[in-house]
Amino acid sequence: MFATVSSAILLGVDGCAVSVEVHVGGGLPSFTIVGLPDLTCREARDRVRAAVTNSGFTWPGHRITVNLAPTAVRKAGSGLDLPIAIAVLAADGKLDARLAAGVAFFGELGLDGSLRRVAGILPLVAAATGPAVVVPVSCAAEARLPRRHRVLPAASLRNVVDALRGEAEWVQVPDVPLVPPRSATEDLRDVRGQAVARMAVEVAAAGGHHLLLVGPPGAGKTMLARRLPDLLPPLTPEQALEVTKVHSAAGVELPPGALVLRPPFRVPHHSASMVALIGGGSGAIRPGELSCALHGVLFLDELGEFPSDVLDALRQPLEDGRVVVARARASLALPARCLLVAAMNPCPCGGDGAPGGCRCSERARERYASKVSGPLLDRFDLRVGVDRPEITELLPGADARAESTDVVARRVAAARERARQRGVPTNADLPGNRLDEAAPVDEAAARLLELRLRQGRLSARGLHRVRRVARTVADLRGWDGAVQEEDILTALALRIEPFAHQEQAG
Amino acid sequence: MTGGESERPAAGGRWGSEGAADATGAFQWDSDSAAAAALAALPGIGPTSLRSLLVAAGSPLSAWEQVREGRLRRPEPRGGARGVPWAVATAGVDLSERAAALRSGGMAVTWIGRPEYPCRLAGDDEAPAVLFWRGSLDGLDGRCVAVVGTRRCTPDGRAVAAELGRELADAGVCVVSGLALGIDGAAHRGAVGSGRRGATVGVAAGGVDVPYPRSHASLWGDVVVVGAVLSESPPGVAAQAWRFPVRNRVIAGLADLVVVVESHAGGGSLITVDAALARGIEVRVVPGPVHSPASAGTNRLLMEGAGPVRCAADVLDALGDLRPSPPLSYRRSAASRRGLAAPLPQRPVPLSQPAFPSQPAFPSRPAFPSQPAAPSTKAGTCGALDPTTAAVLDAVGWQPVTLNTVLLRSGLGLAAVAAALDELAAHGLVADERGWWQRCG
Repeated sequence: MFATVSSAILLGVDGCAVSVEVHVGGGLPSFTIVGLPDLTCREARDRVRAAVTNSGFTWPGHRITVNLAPTAVRKAGSGLDLPIAIAVLAADGKLDARLAAGVAFFGELGLDGSLRRVAGILPLVAAATGPAVVVPVSCAAEARLPRRHRVLPAASLRNVVDALRGEAEWVQVPDVPLVPPRSATEDLRDVRGQAVARMAVEVAAAGGHHLLLVGPPGAGKTMLARRLPDLLPPLTPEQALEVTKVHSAAGVELPPGALVLRPPFRVPHHSASMVALIGGGSGAIRPGELSCALHGVLFLDELGEFPSDVLDALRQPLEDGRVVVARARASLALPARCLLVAAMNPCPCGGDGAPGGCRCSERARERYASKVSGPLLDRFDLRVGVDRPEITELLPGADARAESTDVVARRVAAARERARQRGVPTNADLPGNRLDEAAPVDEAAARLLELRLRQGRLSARGLHRVRRVARTVADLRGWDGAVQEEDILTALALRIEPFAHQEQAG
Repeated sequence: MTGGESERPAAGGRWGSEGAADATGAFQWDSDSAAAAALAALPGIGPTSLRSLLVAAGSPLSAWEQVREGRLRRPEPRGGARGVPWAVATAGVDLSERAAALRSGGMAVTWIGRPEYPCRLAGDDEAPAVLFWRGSLDGLDGRCVAVVGTRRCTPDGRAVAAELGRELADAGVCVVSGLALGIDGAAHRGAVGSGRRGATVGVAAGGVDVPYPRSHASLWGDVVVVGAVLSESPPGVAAQAWRFPVRNRVIAGLADLVVVVESHAGGGSLITVDAALARGIEVRVVPGPVHSPASAGTNRLLMEGAGPVRCAADVLDALGDLRPSPPLSYRRSAASRRGLAAPLPQRPVPLSQPAFPSQPAFPSRPAFPSQPAAPSTKAGTCGALDPTTAAVLDAVGWQPVTLNTVLLRSGLGLAAVAAALDELAAHGLVADERGWWQRCG
């Protein structure tokens, strides 16, 4: 007896349709799964057998062969438990195979037959070709996001079989209203006495420029970074679906209603491994924190504490907007478009790093600075010092003029609209060969840039980056014309050399 | 392999007279100097034992022969493990080869009693027995001033050191320092900027062919061109930590006057100060802000009675040179000081202007001369600052502050402050380092 049931598995952040074929035939009783299952997938044998038995069915006392097609792709995870169980029941004649036609099944089985959620339901469902999908109850909202299938939520294997036969109802899961995309507790208004850093955050949000905050502990670097996602425009429906797909595949907890609307804010700890940050993994390829921060903010606190090979691995993906994980069998791409925000102390002693003011030896400082390679430092278009705020700024009533997130976000949205009219999502994406057309500089600004180049205070690559930032600065003040000297000066002021020796200054 | 008597050149016999085409000038390597260089490189030899070796044998070559023959032995270490015996260490050393290597590296050597040996050191109790150098020691014949200070200096300290170096060199003084990061390097750079021959001598802790710190390799080259890099460590030796305090006595011993620009409490330049005081050499100090950690050591010296200096003219004064020489330099530094001491902005600082004016957040810059100001003398610009720039200069102050502090203190927008700082920096009135700004001049 033979039956086939459709399902899907995850490859990176995308689903890949899989058909589960079961043959129940003569021979000594046995239960084999073929078609490149990995360890978690092979464990399905024991779960499925117990779940079928405990759901009130008898286990077929024959030779059972399960094939997962296409057989060349490695199958990982427990999401194939339910389709295997349904296929076994259909092949054994306990369930009419025609009832399962055109339905894709997803879910992990408990030994008692209960249906549990699996990671990546959104991409899995998106890969299903039939008109209906059966998913665990807790995944129902997520499964509805592609809006192409009839979603049939079920609580257990028995529930699935009975509902297919028409003897019971599918579980009713009401639609959850989507959460407003803005954090209610974190407002830019609360950041006191940080005029320069506030502006850097605003420019970063408006232009998509990577930002490095250098300052002593307690200066408010994390506070500033946390307020950045709310300055970014809410995700568009396509972006929201893309981000939800990555989060779903990575097993990140989704908000109520399952759709991620707020730009994500990811804070990996500095002990994170290369795989955790960039993506990959030995079995199934899993998206890393970099991909999870898609269209949002990746915040690396204590940048100097990250292993330098991990940091250097970030460079290429940040340029390309994607991570390519290459394996012997295949390579696949994970998305990696995000705003990188990093924070570090100016020197290892934790002081404010004022020249002549700290106890660190020159060697200790050099060692600390060398953890962030020059090329990575170069990726940060914006590098600003963050002071500990002065006490008067912290007192109630001080800095009452500080603008709120709403006000700044409106300016950011307007500046991004200007970039969009130039045909790029943000000014940071302006290719070098379009700078002269999209970000021309006026005469005084050109003279200033030439002077800095001649002084050796600006490199050729730095020049392009300064011009992009200056374009954003001009956009933020509502100026569409050529970039002016004041924009260049602002861009240069937001680009300090936090670890350089200025021995030439004497 | 150097033989015995047969290879000893006759008096005046010299090896490779053509090898002196570089900065080291007319130095001629002979068998004595080659022996001196080889002796200095013996294992476990220090200034004292080297000196007694030379005194005992009479000449370096004779000391070398006696060491090779085992008549002069390595002193027994007190309770420590025995090192390589000198007779073993000298076996297989070819003096002419070694001399050729040093000559091709542009290096020269001298020892106590030779005409090239700096006369100021000759009478010193702890004088280095052998000195290596690259360049020319002519500068040490005239007046010498040591300009020393911390490696972790402020931009203002660096500017003061550079100004002292330049103006002292212009006035015909040889600027002696330690080639280190910070104050030392700035003083050398200032002196190099004068371009005068004999302007500066750098005293290295390691070998004269091992630039340390490595970032100063080009500075070493510049110092060799206008003056000399000098060391008692044999060529090829790394700058180990113990060599620095030992080196400081040479800096002090070479100087008529020691000027400390900036020093932390307990900083290494205080070792130079101690060495100078032990030799009866006067120490002068550049006063610093009382809150600045980089001036804690120098301000303590002031409290304990060291005399203050503000500029090269004060140093020349302390040298007993009452002529303002050269007058131009004296006038200029005095004028610049007068200009900076006077309250700059005559108009009140616009404190009422909010840090973040109503939208847009990027206020257009106030009326401001946008052409990059032509470099002019400091004295000339001070009176001509427009109110915004003057307010920013006031906000920067004499202690290093971040851009953010300048913004908050001045109450101006980022674009205006950035423009003002750019102009001030072009005039040398402020300097920045790693994002910190400070007045200087």
